Amino acid sequence: MTTLAAPAHQQQATSLPPVPWRRMVWVAWRQHRLLLAGVAVTFGAVALYLFAMGLQIHDAYATVAACRPATSSACRQVGDNFFGTYQPSVSITEGILQLLPALIGAFAGAPILAREFESGTFRFAWTQGFGRTRWVIGKLAPLAIILAGASVLIGLLFSWYYQPLISAGDTNGALFPTVFDLSGVALAGWTLAAFAIGALAGTLIRRVVPAMFATLAVWSGLAILTGTYLRAHYLPPLITTSLNEPHPAWVLSQLWTFSGKPASLDKINQALAPIDARADSFQIFSPGPKTPANVDPFKYLTQHGYTLLTTYQPDSRFWTFQWIEGSWLLGLSLALLAATVWLVRRRNT
Amino acid sequence: MTLDKGSSRESADSLESTSGRSKIEFRLDSASGLPTYLQLVQQVEHALRLGYLRVGDQLPTVRDVVASLAINPNTVLKAYRELESKGLAAGRPGQGTFIEGVLGRVEFPELTQFRRSLLEWMAKADRAGLDEDGIAALFASSLWDFRNRGHAVADTEGAA
Amino acid sequence: MNVIETSGLGKSYGSTWALRDCTLAIPEGHMVALVGPNGAGKTTLLNLAVGLNAPTAGSITVLGKCAAGSPAALDGIAFVAQDMPLYKTLSAADMLHLTRNLNRRFDRGYAEARLGELGIPLKRKAGTMSGGQQAQLALTLALARRPRLLVLDEPMATLDPLARHDFMATVMAAMVDDGVSVLLSSHVLTELERVADYLVLVSRGRVQVAGEVDDLLAHHRMLTGPTAEANLYTEQLNVVHARQGEAQAHLLIRTNGAADPVPPGWEAQPVGLEELTLAYLREPGAAALPGPARRADTKIVGVAK
Repeated sequence: MTTLAAPAHQQQATSLPPVPWRRMVWVAWRQHRLLLAGVAVTFGAVALYLFAMGLQIHDAYATVAACRPATSSACRQVGDNFFGTYQPSVSITEGILQLLPALIGAFAGAPILAREFESGTFRFAWTQGFGRTRWVIGKLAPLAIILAGASVLIGLLFSWYYQPLISAGDTNGALFPTVFDLSGVALAGWTLAAFAIGALAGTLIRRVVPAMFATLAVWSGLAILTGTYLRAHYLPPLITTSLNEPHPAWVLSQLWTFSGKPASLDKINQALAPIDARADSFQIFSPGPKTPANVDPFKYLTQHGYTLLTTYQPDSRFWTFQWIEGSWLLGLSLALLAATVWLVRRRNT
Repeated sequence: MTLDKGSSRESADSLESTSGRSKIEFRLDSASGLPTYLQLVQQVEHALRLGYLRVGDQLPTVRDVVASLAINPNTVLKAYRELESKGLAAGRPGQGTFIEGVLGRVEFPELTQFRRSLLEWMAKADRAGLDEDGIAALFASSLWDFRNRGHAVADTEGAA
Repeated sequence: MNVIETSGLGKSYGSTWALRDCTLAIPEGHMVALVGPNGAGKTTLLNLAVGLNAPTAGSITVLGKCAAGSPAALDGIAFVAQDMPLYKTLSAADMLHLTRNLNRRFDRGYAEARLGELGIPLKRKAGTMSGGQQAQLALTLALARRPRLLVLDEPMATLDPLARHDFMATVMAAMVDDGVSVLLSSHVLTELERVADYLVLVSRGRVQVAGEVDDLLAHHRMLTGPTAEANLYTEQLNVVHARQGEAQAHLLIRTNGAADPVPPGWEAQPVGLEELTLAYLREPGAAALPGPARRADTKIVGVAK
């Protein structure tokens, strides 16, 4: 009776079953309830808007499509009205939605881990019996899956919403950068990538606000790089010498050549001098006062040995490009998330 | 308080409430300079002397002492072991630690002799002009000296 | 079983060693005080013990021979870090549920009863509680896991005296009820004297003193005598630290056995824990570590002027 003895109820750790995963899901949900609610509200609002506007646009387009004869100036007027009514709001929506993945990444991905480091609660979480590897996976995986799933739906909804404008003759086409990354599965790829960048930034930087800024910066850089360069080369672009713009398609560049070599603007202006036309750029020619009425400056150049080379990606490649972009973004996201887990496992605080 | 059935019920209640508690409470004196376990031992001995504790009484459980004083349980155990080795207490497995013995008593004849010499000394001090308070103070400080210097006592008193 | 066993343990950050050559064997059933100045390496040692950090050199095992940070170790060790990290937006009830969900063993009844006794409402958010309440909540969560070892990193730094008393009373009661071993770090020694029965003193990244408090105090004495004679005895005596006035000197010596002879004319007094610790802190070269006495242990430290 005069010594302290360890009580009998102490069980060996190995005889107890491991804590089931669903417990961690509760933990993640309870900790990030507000975040999940914010994401749900955001996605819900976007979905409702796209659906409501989409219905309107589809209805309006039905009238345009039903107009006969299709090439008459009256029908063209109907088409122009259609564009005039809906193009502005669609452009604005397009612009605003560009930010959606980046904001998700910054507000969901970055704080989820950065806050644990900033407030020191990781010292609590990582010393519980659950272990830090399962903990970090339990935090990231469910949210990643939800975000990916929700953004696939939004992406498909956007494609449906935008479709009438393409059918009505929108020169941008479905491959145009600001349209493409919101459509199909690309939106899911970008959202997931933003989340993964956020998670990794949060683990590296360990402060919420700097991690959020870093996420926005890195994601924006990647998005701009892809939009201006990478995406254009998923498949070798097609080239045509036709004077008619390919449609629907994403025109990458246009170039005048003479005898196989690129022609400078000066040379073109020299060639155009006889008909008193001026080239402001490769695509824009202005007729002068002395230009004969029935002469098209473009045709005039082609008759004098110049060729117009148009490099483009046709819209028919839309889904191919979607899968390519979706795949590499998915691969990148998984790699970044794996790196995050690896960093958490590494024992150096 | 009225003297009727109500009060007897009240006293029965108060009996009930004290039956589960220990007879004494320990306290810590951070100025005493003694190790904690010795303070506990001394407090038990003091309580025995003054009659707060009797043979058969249970000492506070280790858990209760630790929870109220915030001291190491091993300290309490050490104190109780010391009391056991002095024969004052014994542990009963599963029940607690109980008072088993009394403090050693000085035999009666020696006690009378000590008493007589003490009275003689007091009379002498009184004749020298020392009042009661002075006698008490002198006694207290000499006791302190005795405790701290051990047995290196000046023998001048014996001579007188 | 040793709750913590280290061998040549070291941790460096870049070229700075926060902890070095740390060899300990701390038995179970004790309340271990880990003391030392700020920045001495206490938190580093604790982080290594609970698996938040990995060693740069040497090894550490916990709870017998479990690797620090392994599932068995995480299961049996409950850690309360400095500043009591809690999820501030969660209520006490949520924190209970969360802790239960992250552990194989959790005594919910004990936790709720304890919070009830302390008067901490289950619905109150952790961020709105007072410092003392937060500390008690963190401690309750840790103890409800029924650990073998409770590790506390400077838990009382932000607590008022009453809160400190209640906190330590809870810890001590848990030692009695469940046989928990406790490892507690602090840079304030006075509050630990009543509760610690094993001392580990860390200074400048090295362990200077390690051992049971009773043993340490029994093997040290304070000798007081004439300054003029102080130098005569430095050969025979293991002097840890000396303080000298013009006429009188105090030598803190470490003895091998029960009674080393006291030089004639000198007094010998027992030493208190605080005095002992301060003396070692002032002599970085001195050490009092368990194990067979090596020549280094009996090194004669020169008498300071």
